[in-house]
Amino acid sequence: MKRPGLRARVTAGFAVGALLVSAAMALLSYQLTERFLLDERERTAKRAVMSDARIVRAGLDVDDPEVLPVLRSLDTGANRRALLWHDGDFYSRTVVDNTLTDSLPDSVMTMVSQGKAGVQRVRIGDRPAMVFGVPLGPDTALYEIDYMGELDGNLKVLGLVLTLVAAGTAVAGALMGMYASRRVMRPLATVADAARDIAAGNLAARLDPATEPDLARLATSFNHMVDQLSARMERDRRFAADVSHELRSPLQTLSAAASVLERRRDQFDPRTAQATGLVVEEVQRFQELVTDLLELARSDQPADSSPVDVAAIARQLCRQRGLPTSLVTVEADTSPVWHVDRRRIEQVLANLIDNAQAHGGGAVAVRLTRHHSLQVLEVDDEGPGVSPDDRDAIFDRFVRGRSAGARGDNDGTGLGLALVAQHVTAHAGTVQVLDRPGGGARFRIELPPERT
Amino acid sequence: MVAVLLIEDDDRIRLSLSLALEDEGYTVHTAATAEEGLLRQRREPADTVLVDLMLPGIDGFQAIRELRRDDDVPIVVVSARDDTHDIVAALEAGADDYVVKPVAVKELSARLRALRRRGRSGPSAAPQAQLDLGDLQVRAQAGEVLLHGQPLALTRTEFRLLCELAEHAGQVLSRQQLLARVWEYDFGDERLVDVHVGRLRQKIEDDPGSPRRLVTVRGLGYKMPR
Repeated sequence: MKRPGLRARVTAGFAVGALLVSAAMALLSYQLTERFLLDERERTAKRAVMSDARIVRAGLDVDDPEVLPVLRSLDTGANRRALLWHDGDFYSRTVVDNTLTDSLPDSVMTMVSQGKAGVQRVRIGDRPAMVFGVPLGPDTALYEIDYMGELDGNLKVLGLVLTLVAAGTAVAGALMGMYASRRVMRPLATVADAARDIAAGNLAARLDPATEPDLARLATSFNHMVDQLSARMERDRRFAADVSHELRSPLQTLSAAASVLERRRDQFDPRTAQATGLVVEEVQRFQELVTDLLELARSDQPADSSPVDVAAIARQLCRQRGLPTSLVTVEADTSPVWHVDRRRIEQVLANLIDNAQAHGGGAVAVRLTRHHSLQVLEVDDEGPGVSPDDRDAIFDRFVRGRSAGARGDNDGTGLGLALVAQHVTAHAGTVQVLDRPGGGARFRIELPPERT
Repeated sequence: MVAVLLIEDDDRIRLSLSLALEDEGYTVHTAATAEEGLLRQRREPADTVLVDLMLPGIDGFQAIRELRRDDDVPIVVVSARDDTHDIVAALEAGADDYVVKPVAVKELSARLRALRRRGRSGPSAAPQAQLDLGDLQVRAQAGEVLLHGQPLALTRTEFRLLCELAEHAGQVLSRQQLLARVWEYDFGDERLVDVHVGRLRQKIEDDPGSPRRLVTVRGLGYKMPR
């Protein structure tokens, strides 16, 4: 299972933390409030009971006392019930309720029998109550039962309110967690942006360690990494440039010297003339090979983008090769001006046309068209086509066309189509070889529209 | 005989190129360093200078600037360096054209011929005797350009470029059209045009930063408004 993201975990952590704290606080407040209210109630009730006890004692402290009128004279209100134990019998203002007398707790009765006043919280039926016992003399005691239904209701409301507060706090905690994690992640977004810039080739992108002190370490190591990377790329670039220079210089000498030989070829004896021909041709081939190799070595660099009349280039290339410019067609819905790297698209077209000339029996069509939003370039030939097995390999380096057979004059460098593939990739496009309807091969290039 | 000065530090390239260029009918002066080349050019001026960029002592860029200081001799860079940065820097220093080694001698020879045809009284110069564009007057046949009545010092390439644009004033010329007409390239590097337009603006514009005599038409090319 996928691990939940950092933000989800931070949010959940905040919610749980807030819930725990607020629940603990709610529980504590509930208990403190409950105890305070009960104590208060007990004090109030105790005063009333003592006052009742004085009245009852006074009422019974006469000769031949009458119990009921004394009890009835007590102002017990709605919540209190008074029970008088006198000479082995219970009395109350009305008929003595057995459930009441049974519910008197033993602890209170024991205290009273020892001549001490006692109090005990009990539940009678399902109602909470406090039972007071006050000894009034040797066979006499006053018990009062104080029902606390109202207090109980208040405590229930309090409990509900505190529960809601706790839940609300947990939600607030979660929201805070979301906000905080978003804030914390924000600096990472700048890191992500910088990384994206670098991947896109902007090696000047750096992070400022001063803006986010907490991320200073990340920023420093990130910058260090980019420094290393750009130093490495600079080394590679310089190496490629050095290699290029070191290869081009002797080739210049060879090329110029070969042209001097070539010019005097008919003054040579036949063997020397033949050898001269080989030298001149091979120097030319070697020159093309080196140029293509150097081009291939740097073709992974990002492509330029400027408006280029691709159809005009195609026509010019056809003219140079003695092909009719009518080969080049532009579909009605297609603009001939594309935003591409001029030098590279020129090479792509030249290599595809040369490939068709060398291996495909000649180019028969160069077409600019659209496919949905893609810009499509097709070069058709009338050769034997390319068998499905070879369709990927044909874009590899140093793969030569089968139709060429043994190496001949028009063999090419074996790098032409590899260069095409590299250049097209640099434009974020694709190249593939298909069957041309009616025989032959169709090289099809699709470029994304309007690169910027 | 057309004389060419070849400034090249690689002995073998210098020897083989001068042999090949002599075969093409040129008189070749050679120099292994920029200092030597500048001295030679002062004593015995060649019609065209071929210069390498990587030279011991004064480098090719500096040599081009020195040559340009008091001369409009056509300069072609022949260098193994082919990155945009070097090409643009060499053109901005004042070079007229740029070829990358290894260059075929026939191709180099063709570039030299095209460069010579760019001369002031060449057949491709503007037919009209004078083109008036406000305070800018182009006298094609005389090879003169006057700005506010004062003659301007232009190189041949700058002059041909200005003539082409002035002749078609009010019309947009694409970079490829300019390459074909001025440099005689079938198609080539558009940076040649851009850098030369920039150099021309330095000379004909009051404020080269916001040109009004030679304007860029985005995506199309350049034009001189009538």
